Amino acid sequence: MPHFLIHNKNDNVGVAITDIKAGEEVEGAYIEDMAKGPKIKAINDIPLGHKIALNNLKQGDTVIKYGRPIGSAIKEIKIGEHVHVHNIRSNRWGKWRKSQ
Amino acid sequence: MEKKPVIKGYIRENGSVGVRNYVALIPVDDLSNSAAIGVSKLIRGTVAIPHPYGRLQFGKDLDLLFHVLSGTGANPNVAGAIVIGIEENWANKVANKIAETGKPVEVFPIEGNGDLRVIEKASRKAKEMVQEASEKQRTEVDLSSLVISIKCGESDTTSGLASNPATGYAVDKLIDYGATVLFGETSELTGAEDIVASRIPDPALREKFMKIYKEYVDFIESQGVDLLGSQPTEGNIKGGLSTIEEKALGNIQKLGTKPITCVLDYLDLLEKSSSRLCFVNTSSAAAEAVTLFAAKGSVLHLFTTGQGNVVGHPIIPVVKISANPKTVAIMSEHIDVDVSDLLQLKVSLREAGERIFNYTIRVANGRLTSAEVLQHDEFSPIKLYISA
Repeated sequence: MPHFLIHNKNDNVGVAITDIKAGEEVEGAYIEDMAKGPKIKAINDIPLGHKIALNNLKQGDTVIKYGRPIGSAIKEIKIGEHVHVHNIRSNRWGKWRKSQ
Repeated sequence: MEKKPVIKGYIRENGSVGVRNYVALIPVDDLSNSAAIGVSKLIRGTVAIPHPYGRLQFGKDLDLLFHVLSGTGANPNVAGAIVIGIEENWANKVANKIAETGKPVEVFPIEGNGDLRVIEKASRKAKEMVQEASEKQRTEVDLSSLVISIKCGESDTTSGLASNPATGYAVDKLIDYGATVLFGETSELTGAEDIVASRIPDPALREKFMKIYKEYVDFIESQGVDLLGSQPTEGNIKGGLSTIEEKALGNIQKLGTKPITCVLDYLDLLEKSSSRLCFVNTSSAAAEAVTLFAAKGSVLHLFTTGQGNVVGHPIIPVVKISANPKTVAIMSEHIDVDVSDLLQLKVSLREAGERIFNYTIRVANGRLTSAEVLQHDEFSPIKLYISA
């Protein structure tokens, strides 16, 4: 069974479907056709339901899930890193957008 | 297509079909809650629907309260209604709307009587109504007579991965069989509002939807606050959702694939009709949205949850669906349909969707939901602005 799922081939984040531990080698699957996804070494603990970076992202890069933008990186994010409110923000709502 | 499923429902005077058979005790205002609750304690088979509003509201906000109260009384799950109000005039307004359905309605004003006299008179009437209602039989009808609503709450990423798409499968199937399905959560479409709009074939309706959406979000943004923590909620964030866009894209997974052929603003009535997928302007708060759906005529609600929202409603059954294995284990008493095996890829989307569809049929036929048994009777009219 994969450790994380990916909605769309263009996504740069996957979603953990089990609790992932830092340092663990984890494998993804694409939900559309169940094709095997990338194997990644997790940098942090990633709880079930939380996102894992599939690529390296620079500050300001768009975060893609469901093949659509769900926000932007507010700092550098490394492949295998936990992606959440500490390192991404909405492009639509919130202080971060207003201060841009 | 497989053999057409039928359910056994209650056919009301105006031809609408309910799946429950309550006598509703409707207070028009907060001051009348005590009397309504008093009657409910004396008379088995009645449901009191207390709420905190109904004094010095005005304009569209007052119209919306009347719309919700009369719509709740008119809901096909209600066999008869008793309206209690501090002032007779306002109580009559609500009652007259309910009476248009042809079901029995009585008004009891508190001014000039006092609570105890009202409780006595209303209880005698409620007793008759319950006995009358108890003789109503369930009759075989097909799914095209049902109005069902959908919403997610305390969502997390498991909602977008599994419970919402599986519900979307069930929604498609219900609509194929002619049912009407209502959805809303206006603010929670942010980031996916263009996808929703693109599924509305009628240009005038599409424009109406975008206007409703834009006004809603403009109002929120006009408050000048950072919504992070409110939207997504703390529960959403705990479950892994980081932004409103991510939440919205997960949210719309439950809409299935049918075109959206109806767009209702707060005060618009659902026309009696053929099968349709229908947007209703609602807040995204669980109890407020379910309350408005019920007032528009929904008789059964499908509610997906990730972290474990426990909402129910006094007169419509709320079916809880979850794909989060932790929530299903820890809050098992609240979850009606467990689709966590879909998250773990042990079953197909179709199998999980069929499970939700089949459960919907059982609930429509009378099986009580967890929220009903646990007495989750949240009734929460949407209030638009301050009272005078």
